[in-house]
Amino acid sequence: MNMEPIIQIKNVSKEFKVLNRREGLMGSIKDLFSRNYKIINAISNITMDIMPGEIVGYLGPNGAGKSTTIKMMTGVLKPTSGEILVNGRVPYENRTKNAQNIGVVFGQRTQLWWALPVIESFKILKEIYRIDDKVYNDNLELYNNLVGVKELYSKPVRQMSLGQRTLCDILAAFLHNPSVVFLDEPTIGLDVTMKSKIRELITELNRVKNTTVILTTHDMGDVDALCKRIIIIDKGTRIYDNSIENLKDYFGAYRTLKLMFSKNPEDNTEENLNKIAAEIQTSLHKEFPSAENIAVCSNEEWIDIFINEDEIKMMEIMNFIQNTRNIVDVKITEISTESVIKKIYEGGVK
Amino acid sequence: MKIKKKTNTLRYYAHIYRMILAQDLKSKMNYRADFIISNVGIIATNVSGFIAFWIMFQNFPSILNWTYYEMMFLYGFSLIALTPVQLFFDNNWNLRFQVYSGDFIRYCFRPINLFFYYISEVFDIKGIGQFAFGAGTLIYAWKNLGLSVTPLIILKLIIALFSASLFMIAIMNIAAATCFWITNSGIVMVFMFNFKDYARYPITIFNSIFRFIFTFIIPIAFIAYYPSLIFLRPDNVPLLTYLSPFIGIIFFYISYKVWITGAMQYSGTGS
Amino acid sequence: MNTEPKKFNLNKYFALTKASILEELSFRANYLVTFLGNLIYLCVIYFLWKAIYNSSPHDIVNGMTFSDTFIYLVLASAMFNFLETYVVWIMAKDIQTGKIVVDLIKPMNYQLYTFFYFSGIYITYFFITFMPTFLIVLFFTWGKIAIGINLVFYVLSLILALIINFCIDFLVGTICLYTESIWGTNIMKEVVVLLLSGATIPLAFFPETLRKIVEMLPFQAIYNLPLTILTSNNTDPSGYFQAIAIQFFWVVVMIILSALFWKKSIKVITVNGG
Repeated sequence: MNMEPIIQIKNVSKEFKVLNRREGLMGSIKDLFSRNYKIINAISNITMDIMPGEIVGYLGPNGAGKSTTIKMMTGVLKPTSGEILVNGRVPYENRTKNAQNIGVVFGQRTQLWWALPVIESFKILKEIYRIDDKVYNDNLELYNNLVGVKELYSKPVRQMSLGQRTLCDILAAFLHNPSVVFLDEPTIGLDVTMKSKIRELITELNRVKNTTVILTTHDMGDVDALCKRIIIIDKGTRIYDNSIENLKDYFGAYRTLKLMFSKNPEDNTEENLNKIAAEIQTSLHKEFPSAENIAVCSNEEWIDIFINEDEIKMMEIMNFIQNTRNIVDVKITEISTESVIKKIYEGGVK
Repeated sequence: MKIKKKTNTLRYYAHIYRMILAQDLKSKMNYRADFIISNVGIIATNVSGFIAFWIMFQNFPSILNWTYYEMMFLYGFSLIALTPVQLFFDNNWNLRFQVYSGDFIRYCFRPINLFFYYISEVFDIKGIGQFAFGAGTLIYAWKNLGLSVTPLIILKLIIALFSASLFMIAIMNIAAATCFWITNSGIVMVFMFNFKDYARYPITIFNSIFRFIFTFIIPIAFIAYYPSLIFLRPDNVPLLTYLSPFIGIIFFYISYKVWITGAMQYSGTGS
Repeated sequence: MNTEPKKFNLNKYFALTKASILEELSFRANYLVTFLGNLIYLCVIYFLWKAIYNSSPHDIVNGMTFSDTFIYLVLASAMFNFLETYVVWIMAKDIQTGKIVVDLIKPMNYQLYTFFYFSGIYITYFFITFMPTFLIVLFFTWGKIAIGINLVFYVLSLILALIINFCIDFLVGTICLYTESIWGTNIMKEVVVLLLSGATIPLAFFPETLRKIVEMLPFQAIYNLPLTILTSNNTDPSGYFQAIAIQFFWVVVMIILSALFWKKSIKVITVNGG
């Protein structure tokens, strides 16, 4: 690939000064006069390039620094140090110019006019972004072919369901043909059919317009359906940046062994299962000290055991447990994206 | 070249404002009862103020040499000068809710001035009733005072009303912007908003401390008293009256800067 | 279906009072600002009426001296601060969001429930915003407010005024079952109550015919009667009894009116949404 990256982030850090608030009324009066700050490193030294047309999953636990990064890319926030270029431009130096070339969707916060029918919102956006008549009409036609939303257009946003609203917000974000679109948890709170409808829409828009999409989400279904590449950050540092296949290869030897010890729902209370999981975890660690990556947790009526087969064979574990407990059902599953990511958050990849 | 660009930008913003306004009005027409009741409500408030004045002057012929009709003039003038803040800047009242819930961030991604974009969202129809009542009162006072009507006077009146309106807008911008820093900004807004009711009195009734406060700190004396002197006391107009358009613009600009600074700082840290 | 015990148990209502006092006390900064606002209003009233009286050839107008008028108006505004508890707003919001359903299924009379819910707010506001203002006025106009039997009757009168005011609020809140325009409805109520109760201008200043009409309405029982009791100085309590009797009459009328209107409205209207 000889293309220029559309987003370049080089050694970017962001510090926040946070006020240590004192307690009570006297405390707040004292705060007015002497302030006691503490410095928080929201982002430390992140570097990444994003190519035109990519869909990148930008993942991390809550508070990892995802939205801080997005705010910096959209020009709302200025990095403490380092360099960001979006479309070859420094976003925070000219927020409005940068905004002309990006689209943003925040899952539950609509950017459309609450009381107006969607089509009227679109018309105002057409003027705000100074969209050509031709581009505008072409896009409306494209939207109609993709999702057939004509009957939605006359409905005021406040009367829409969350799913319809998100759909319209995504369409609005692509309306001015931005080169980059940021989607922040676009499927949060939606039902299964709406989720897949929205994923399809994003895939299609990306394919037709070759728009770069940066997607933050906690839903691994989004990641599986949309992203070839994922970037994971935690505590402000980048801990993974590669293709999703690579990640699965890395964890290729991992399996989840699911065991059930009783079909009686009275035995399978959450409390009970957690206790069993903890007991198994301790005994396994004692028996196989070399298998560092073993993790046990309860999952509905199952006990999940997370195993790296390079360390230990699955049958050994089964045999060991069978000596002490009665297993009534067994399942073996490939590792899911979900558990891989979870493993990474927990520090599984160095 | 640069001037041309400036006027283009101005035209662009005016165009967008008109568009949003037209749409907003169209959707509000669906709530005709609310439109009527709110306007009747705001007119009722002012009729009651009017009656209070009338009763007062039934008992006292003048207040510090200000006659009934002169006081009516101040009252009508202040109502018109307070119309723009009601009509166009009412979204400031929602600001704190948007900020505390984190929803404010959604305004930050448009290729357009943030303050303009936020404020343009709401057009408050109640202001129409207030304007109508204020204009009626002013004309009534104007006629009974026997003031002349010439194109020059009309021009002066328009300039005076325009600059007077900037002061309350600026006060409310700053009051609303406090929500970017403190959590109790609702009460600050109510507190500041209530000062508008004192704008209808001649500032000479107060002692020097309050005169100073109402001129330089919470400048409500510019909402009606200072500009009205041009018409009511033309032989004795203080310098502050002539300066009031400039002070108004500067004060508005400062309030805008405070608002934007707060918004940008908040968007960085919030949520 | 309704298993409400026959014996009327007030304890559950007082629990509401206590809860709302605690809730109110957590907004301490609000009191500071409200109190500060009162002080500024006090100054403005002082200067305005000082100027008005200075422009008049007489010291006593309609039987009121400057200090009478000043005390009357400042205390009227202090009373307004603790009487205006946004009953209408909160009722209207509960109606529009459908939250009212939750309150309706509680085994309590809704009007009493609302009253006791707000009672805590009344009590806290009385002590935190009204009392300081009262003490300041008492101190700065020392000797102008008589300290005697009038204070006892004032407190009694205040309680009756509060009930009348609450019933009007509740009545207007009920109107919000029919209209979406809360702001407009509430502001009209406020304007009518404040003007016709003599809170903006003492009733003594009203022209004869207007005063005669206003005295036949319930509004004057909220501000005018208590404040007249407070600022008067009679050793003979018969005048006080008469004022209290008028208030009592309005309490009964307003309770019946608001309860009937509520009963009728709740049957007709189905609550929006859910």
